[in-house]
Amino acid sequence: MVEAFEPHIQELRRGTVVLACLQLLRTPGYGYGLLEDLQRAGFVTEANTLYPLLRRLEKQGHLTSHWDTGESRPRKFYQTSKRGLGLAEAMHSEWLALSKSVDALGDDPLTNEEK
Amino acid sequence: MTTPLPERYIAATVKYLSPELQAEVRPELHASIADAVEAQVAQGEDYETAERNVLTELGDPAVLAASYSDRTLQLIGPRYYLSWWCLLKRLLLIVPAAVLGVVAFAQLLAGGDLGDIIGGSIGAAVTAGLHVCFWVTLVFAILERSDADTGITWDVDQLPEPRQQDPGRLDLIASLVFLGLMILVVLWDQIPGFIRIGDQSIPILSPALWPWAMLGLLGIIGLEIGFAILLYVKRQWNATLAIINTVLSVLFFSWVISLLVRGELFSEMFLELAVDNAVSGDSFYTIAVIFGLSVGIICVWDIIDGWVKTYRVGASDAAEQQPAATQ
Repeated sequence: MVEAFEPHIQELRRGTVVLACLQLLRTPGYGYGLLEDLQRAGFVTEANTLYPLLRRLEKQGHLTSHWDTGESRPRKFYQTSKRGLGLAEAMHSEWLALSKSVDALGDDPLTNEEK
Repeated sequence: MTTPLPERYIAATVKYLSPELQAEVRPELHASIADAVEAQVAQGEDYETAERNVLTELGDPAVLAASYSDRTLQLIGPRYYLSWWCLLKRLLLIVPAAVLGVVAFAQLLAGGDLGDIIGGSIGAAVTAGLHVCFWVTLVFAILERSDADTGITWDVDQLPEPRQQDPGRLDLIASLVFLGLMILVVLWDQIPGFIRIGDQSIPILSPALWPWAMLGLLGIIGLEIGFAILLYVKRQWNATLAIINTVLSVLFFSWVISLLVRGELFSEMFLELAVDNAVSGDSFYTIAVIFGLSVGIICVWDIIDGWVKTYRVGASDAAEQQPAATQ
């Protein structure tokens, strides 16, 4: 990828991490586990953005949390709340609408050039 | 034995956070770091390198802490930058020049030699400039950190008439800074003093004005501050505001002139100093008249300014209504 594209691409990605978290946390998950899940799902996220983001979403009521002390070390598990599900739904339909609009702008820019 | 790196990292992060937040973040960060290290070790990395990698990836603890606590990482952000810059430029054009003039005049009366006068007044102007930069920036930095959004949400109705003077937030801040400086100048004159000869400081305004006349002056300045805020809240000049403005100006003018005429305004030490430096009785009289006139001109200008602005608001309102009526 051309280096000068990077900031724009990142800007485009930024909001999608929230959506991905809300969707993935329909089943409870903890910080590092979620980080790996996100990476596997194709959302490249830094740990230092994810952890504060989780806290913010929890504070806004989109996530609920509880401490699980059953395993080798105590971990804070997050789960998408009812309100969070609503947000995820709204973001998802927005994404679909945007994607449609982007497609409607024209076909692949490369083929456009050839015309 | 030294504290393990993750412990040090966590301590460095949470020290910026409030106690409640610390209690939340500390155990969670602890688990997250341990998980990440464990995962790297499982992939064959040795323990110490894994720790280093994980912490390096997390980055500067101060930045991490800031994003936990939603703290602003800039002094003045885009919301206020333009207002800050605009106001700073305005004040830097006016205040240092005014201070330069006043101090040069005071030094001239105090009979300093030319070098003292130039050096002293330039020094004071530079100091005044620094004060302006500092205080204006401080005010905006505080605004940036407060959620005081009220008053700057923009809507189309706020678009000013091209020639209309809209008393906005900038005017308010300019007035407040100016009046605040005035209070400082009055107090500074009385306590450390602008003019110093040897160890003795010589106040320009008479100390005998304390307490009543001086409280009167501070009271008038207080009323001016109240008026500036009222003007900002009302957003537009109107007849009532113009009348209040007139009354305040007349009050200030009366305060200065009655004390000047009775010879109670300036301190005896200051006058003696002037006499020592060969200011004769006649030129005293002239200086007093010029001073009184200047205060008068400033007050009259202020009064007229208020009425002109009131008239302009009325005129632009009428201009708005006229096309509507002809349709």
